[in-house]
Amino acid sequence: MCTVAIQLRVKKCYNTRVNTPDSIYLDYAAAAPVDKRVLEVMQPYFSEEFFNPSSPYAPAVKVRREYEAAKDRLAHTFGAKGDEVVITAGATESINLAFNGIKGDIITSKIEHSAVISAAKHHGGVVFVKPTEAGLISAKSIAESMTPQTELVSVQLANHELGTIQPLREIAAVIKQERETRAESGNKTPILFHSDASQGFGSIDVHIARLGVDMLTLNSGKIYGPKQVGLLWHKPSVKLSPLIFGGGQEAGVRSGTENVAGVIGFAKAAQLATGKLSDTAKLRDLMQTRLLDKFPQAVVSGHKKKRLPNFLHISFPGIDAERVIFLLEDEGVYVATGSACAASRQTKSNVLDAIGMDDSLARGSLRLTLGRGTTSEMVNVAIDKIVAVIESEYMRLEGYVA
Amino acid sequence: MTKVFVGMSGGVDSSLAAALLVEQGYDVIGVYMKNWSQDLPGMKCPWAEDLADAKRVAVKLGIDFRVFDFEREYRDQVVQYMIDEYKLGHTPNPDIMCNQEVKFKLFLDASLDQGADMIATGHYAKTSDGNLLKATDENKDQTYFLYRVTKEALEKTLFPLGDMTKQQVRKEAAARSLVTAGKKESMGVCFVGQVGMKEFLGQYVETQPGDIVDKQSGDKIGRHDGAIFYTLGQRHGLDLGGGLPYYVVGKDMERNEVYVSRNINDDNIWRQTIELQNIHWIDESSERPRDVQVRIRHRAALVDAVIEGNTLTLADKQRAITSGQSAVIYSGNKCLGGGVVV
Repeated sequence: MCTVAIQLRVKKCYNTRVNTPDSIYLDYAAAAPVDKRVLEVMQPYFSEEFFNPSSPYAPAVKVRREYEAAKDRLAHTFGAKGDEVVITAGATESINLAFNGIKGDIITSKIEHSAVISAAKHHGGVVFVKPTEAGLISAKSIAESMTPQTELVSVQLANHELGTIQPLREIAAVIKQERETRAESGNKTPILFHSDASQGFGSIDVHIARLGVDMLTLNSGKIYGPKQVGLLWHKPSVKLSPLIFGGGQEAGVRSGTENVAGVIGFAKAAQLATGKLSDTAKLRDLMQTRLLDKFPQAVVSGHKKKRLPNFLHISFPGIDAERVIFLLEDEGVYVATGSACAASRQTKSNVLDAIGMDDSLARGSLRLTLGRGTTSEMVNVAIDKIVAVIESEYMRLEGYVA
Repeated sequence: MTKVFVGMSGGVDSSLAAALLVEQGYDVIGVYMKNWSQDLPGMKCPWAEDLADAKRVAVKLGIDFRVFDFEREYRDQVVQYMIDEYKLGHTPNPDIMCNQEVKFKLFLDASLDQGADMIATGHYAKTSDGNLLKATDENKDQTYFLYRVTKEALEKTLFPLGDMTKQQVRKEAAARSLVTAGKKESMGVCFVGQVGMKEFLGQYVETQPGDIVDKQSGDKIGRHDGAIFYTLGQRHGLDLGGGLPYYVVGKDMERNEVYVSRNINDDNIWRQTIELQNIHWIDESSERPRDVQVRIRHRAALVDAVIEGNTLTLADKQRAITSGQSAVIYSGNKCLGGGVVV
């Protein structure tokens, strides 16, 4: 549908404004364009190397080997082995697979992605831990919710609305402590630590040994790889319970003919996603400074230091963020409301609710997320337009005092 | 400046209505009426997209936008009425009920409460001093659905599209780059959607299969899934094999039987006199003519008639006049009111 120019300028999908100056996309947390280099390595696997990896003849065996090698390369980027990885159709399936084998209680947070929240609720026996005002899930809060029946703790690597990076290592330490306590007391209930690292993978260090997790969910679409490709990494000792039955691919855990092109692309995307991001943080800080200078009443949410370098969540009191988005789209600037899923449904974001933001402020929230190659020029143009639109909205509103 | 609250459904008609009001210099506020947001199995109610479209248009017109939540009232008054009527074997019209109870009562009252001087909708109709007049585009005229609105409500209502054709509306909407300009026409009632009345009613009414009986011979010639699904004069969907077509000529809800006939001129299908109940006159005070014109369904041709008391005598026999449907009464361009067929 949309032709995506490489770099960050996204061509318009629709008719009316194709020939206008370039648009500026600031919603990389929702979707990223497939990197040209990723597309290139995927290309042969559609019509040339199309063979079913399970077929017996040589060209198919070659495809199988290339598939396995890509899984290895992919796994190596986060310190794992290919055969510890189950490829899924996106992160949502990965999360559902992680939760599927769990019989006992679950601890997760109130600010997880809806995939985790829904999977946990479906499972039952779940405690949702409250975050701090900065959207941080403290190890202490996990420890306090722990019971001898807890079998799974699931905490995101970074929050998808605020960008707050969670202290996974500290949480892992709490779980290690609990394991030791159980061993001493003869409690044989296993306890696993899962993390949805869909947001953050590609921007910050993700290495399983350093994170201390037992299961990890990753997503290709957010790191300039193809969509509907994800994975669940699990320690060899963790036994997964399949959701999808069939030909027994992915060690019997996830049947269905392998998505060879998708995995080749995912692996390439993961390898490319190790670049430095300090420049991104500088651009984010530039955006934040300019918006706060202009609108001192605006509120920036998320952790001041532990925040993804490309995330800015900012709320303008009295403003209806959805109006801002509709006005900005005419200017060719694409941003998200505080929560993409909540737009128009008139439901408050579970994240903003959990951090205690009041409804009227939540309504005025924008999420601006930068991507690979977002330039300072683009940021400045976008901020000029955002400022103009928000000023016009404030002027429209009665009783506004500048 | 006159403050107008315009009902915006996210369709092209109400979008253009709002745009025209802004251009005419009114102080306009866009309102989305949330009447139904439930997804039923296999059918997605597009309300969230419609709401977003309505809001997008309002924002681009630079006007305030609000959402009025009438979901409970709509369910209690419109949906329930429709289900109850079907249970009785009638053929109700939920759009008429929606206009009477929601758009020109709840929406009007809530708008006035919030400071409106007038309301507006994207209906194809005209008003003049509290009278309801047919739209210029005879083919789109929607006064059939509006005959139960009161004079008091009409005095406070603007129909900006009354002089336009549908084609003009699309053209003008496109000229203004309204995002809804090319949007597909919504068909019938939102909540019934694409799946059709049969599936919808199946969610709410327990139906039993029963016999289809040939009225002339008295023979049972087939089975049906529930008598409520059949309406007088209906020809299709009877599954009675080949030969001349059968038409529904009646039904007995108690016995759950549907009566059919091959006689296209069956007395039950063709009627010349209609008894009305729940008659509503838009202007109750003024003298009404005895010689009128009648429309028995939306877009049906007008038929000359004489009204005496509750009885309409038509100039010609009309086909398939069904209990529960409305007969709407006109005198020239003016819609006088109407009633529900007994």
